[in-house]
Amino acid sequence: MKAILVLTSLGIISLLAEIFRFRRALYPIVILGLMGAIATTVSYWWYDDGDFAKYFGGMINFEDSSVIFSTIIISTGLLWFLMSDTFFNKENPRTDLVALVLFAMVGAVILTCYTNMAMLFLGVEILSIPLYVLAGSRKDSLSSNEAAFKYFIMGAFASAFLLFGIALVYGATGSFNLGVIGQVVEAKKEVLPGFFMVGVLMLVVSLLFKVSAAPFHFWAPDVYQGAPTHVTAFMSTIVKTAAIVAILRLFLSVVFDDITSFWMPVILVCVGITFVVSNVSAAVQNNVKRMLAYSSISHAGFLLLAVGAFNAYSAKAIVFYTAAYSVGSILAFAVLTNVIKDHTGGPVESFNGLGKKNPFMALVMTIALLSLAGIPPTAGFFGKYYVFNAALQAGHVWLVILGIIGSLIGVYYYFRIIIAMYFKDANEEASVEPSKQHQLVMFVTAVIIIVLGLLPDLILGIGSAAEVVAAK
Amino acid sequence: MNLTLTEILFFVLSAITIISGALVIFSRNPVYSVLYLIVTFFAIAGHYILLNAQFLAAVHVIVYAGAIMVLFLFVIMMLNLNETTEPKTALWSKFAAVIAGLTFLPLLVGALKTSEAVVMTQPQNSDIGLVKTLGQVLFTDYLVPFELSSVLFLSAMVGAVLLGKKSTEETN
Repeated sequence: MKAILVLTSLGIISLLAEIFRFRRALYPIVILGLMGAIATTVSYWWYDDGDFAKYFGGMINFEDSSVIFSTIIISTGLLWFLMSDTFFNKENPRTDLVALVLFAMVGAVILTCYTNMAMLFLGVEILSIPLYVLAGSRKDSLSSNEAAFKYFIMGAFASAFLLFGIALVYGATGSFNLGVIGQVVEAKKEVLPGFFMVGVLMLVVSLLFKVSAAPFHFWAPDVYQGAPTHVTAFMSTIVKTAAIVAILRLFLSVVFDDITSFWMPVILVCVGITFVVSNVSAAVQNNVKRMLAYSSISHAGFLLLAVGAFNAYSAKAIVFYTAAYSVGSILAFAVLTNVIKDHTGGPVESFNGLGKKNPFMALVMTIALLSLAGIPPTAGFFGKYYVFNAALQAGHVWLVILGIIGSLIGVYYYFRIIIAMYFKDANEEASVEPSKQHQLVMFVTAVIIIVLGLLPDLILGIGSAAEVVAAK
Repeated sequence: MNLTLTEILFFVLSAITIISGALVIFSRNPVYSVLYLIVTFFAIAGHYILLNAQFLAAVHVIVYAGAIMVLFLFVIMMLNLNETTEPKTALWSKFAAVIAGLTFLPLLVGALKTSEAVVMTQPQNSDIGLVKTLGQVLFTDYLVPFELSSVLFLSAMVGAVLLGKKSTEETN
C-alpha cells in the first residue's frame, strides 16, 4: 500500500515539475523516489502494517506475495527509468511521459495486492490507459499511431470482457470480494449456475489478452513493434509481470480452486497454442524488435504453464521466472535501443560485427539472449527449469515436451543475433557507444542474470513465501 | 397470469431496450443509429428506476444520453458519415464475423438455460439506490477504489493532453 502512495505522489510531483519549473531536477527525484518505493515495500517484512489493512474494507491485502511481486515490478521500473533517459530526455524531461509511466506502475502494484473485483478492474485500467497513450507518444510516426489505436481498441474490448465476467460472477455469488466468492464457490460447487462458468471463462479470456497469450495475442506483435522501443520494454516486462500476478491471485488461490477442472483445460490449451504459434512465428521474423515481441508471447506461455500446473511449485516458479525474464528483457532492450535507433526496429543484420565494434555490448547482449533462451549458467535456465518441474509434478508431460521444442526453436532465433554479432562483418563503420549510465544498467542487469543463474537459491528462498497465495 | 405494475413496466422497458438496441445495429444511417442508442439508454435508465436506483438513472441519462451522445453526433457530423461513405466489408469477413458471434451465442444461451428461473424480487433495502446510501458506501467500504480511481482519471486526462497538444519537441 505504501508503494502505491509513493508512486502516486511521484507521478503528481512530476506533473508539478512542469508548473514550478524544476524539470531539470525531476529525473534524480524519480530515481530516488523509486528507490524509496522499493525500500518501503521491502520494509513490510520488518514493519508489518497489518492493522492498516483493515481500514481498506477488504479491498487490498498486502501480503508476502504482494511484497515480492511489487518489489520485482518497482525494481524493473527503476532499471527501466535508468535505461530510458533518452526516451523523455533526461536533462529536460517530458514530465507528462514520466507521470504516465509512474501511474501505470501504480496500476501494476494494485494488481499485486487486490482482494476485490473492483480493485482488479481499477488496476487493469490504471495500468492500461497510460500505456495506450505511451504507445502512441511518437505522434509523428504512423506505426506508433497504429500501435496506440490497435492497443486501445483491442484493450477496450478485453476490458468489456473483464467487466462482463465480473458481473456474471457477482450475479452468481453476490460478492466482489475474492474471499467471499471463494467460500460461495466451495459451498455451492455442485449447483453453480452455468452463467457463473461463462463469467469465469470471460475473466480468463480478458486476462489472457492482457498477458498476450495465444490465441489472444494478435495485437501484441504490431503494438510491440510500432510503439517506441522503450515503451515496448515497459510493456514486455512490467505489464506482463502485473498481468500474470493478476491471474495468479485469481486462479492460483482459494478463489476458483474448487472448479479447477473447468478453467484449467482452457489455460492449458492456450499454453499449447502459445508455444507453437509464438516460437514458429518468431523464427521467421527478421526484424529484431518484432522477434522479441513474439518471444515475449512465448514467455507468457511459460508463465501460464506454471499457473496451469496449480501446485506448490507454481508460485515459486512464477516468482523466479518473472524476475529472470524482466531483467533479461530490460538488458536486451537496453542494447537494442543503442544499436538500432529506428523506433520500429531493424533487421538482424544491424547487429553484424558488434562483437568487434563494441565487445562489451555484444557480451551483455549474449548474456541476455542466453538467459531468454534458457541456457545455463543464466537465470533463464532456472526459470524454465522450475516451470517444467511444476508442470511435471502436475503431470502435464505433453506440454513440457511442447515447451522444450519451443525453447529449441527459441535457441535458433536468439542465436541468429549472437551469430550476427560475432561471426559477421560489420557493413558500415558507424560506432555505437552507449552512455556511461546505459553501460552501468547493462553491467548491473548482466551481473544479476549471472548471479541468479549461479545461485538461484537467493531468490527461491523468498519465492517460497509466495505460496501463501497458492493455497494448494 | 397476473402481472403487477412493476412487471408490466419491466417487460415494456425490456422490449423497448432490445428493439431499439437491434435498430442501432440495423439502421443504415449512422445518425439514426445514434438516435436509437439514445432510446436504448433512456430505457435502461428506466430499468434503474425500477430497481430503486434514482441516482444511477439520473447519472445514466446525463452522462450517456447527454454528454456521450452529443460527442457521437459531433464526430459523425464532423466526418460526414452516411450510407455512401460506409466502407464495403468483404463477404468472407462478414461470414467469419457471423460464425465467431454464433459460437458465443450457444454458450450464453446454454449457460442461462441451466440456471434457475429468474425470480423478480424487490431489493431488500428500499433505500439502496439513494444518494445517501451510495455516499455512505463510497466513503466507507469502497474508499480505496474511490480514491484510486482519481489516479485513473488523472492519467486519462494527462494522456488526452499529451495526445492532443501540438508537439514542439519530439521524443526519441
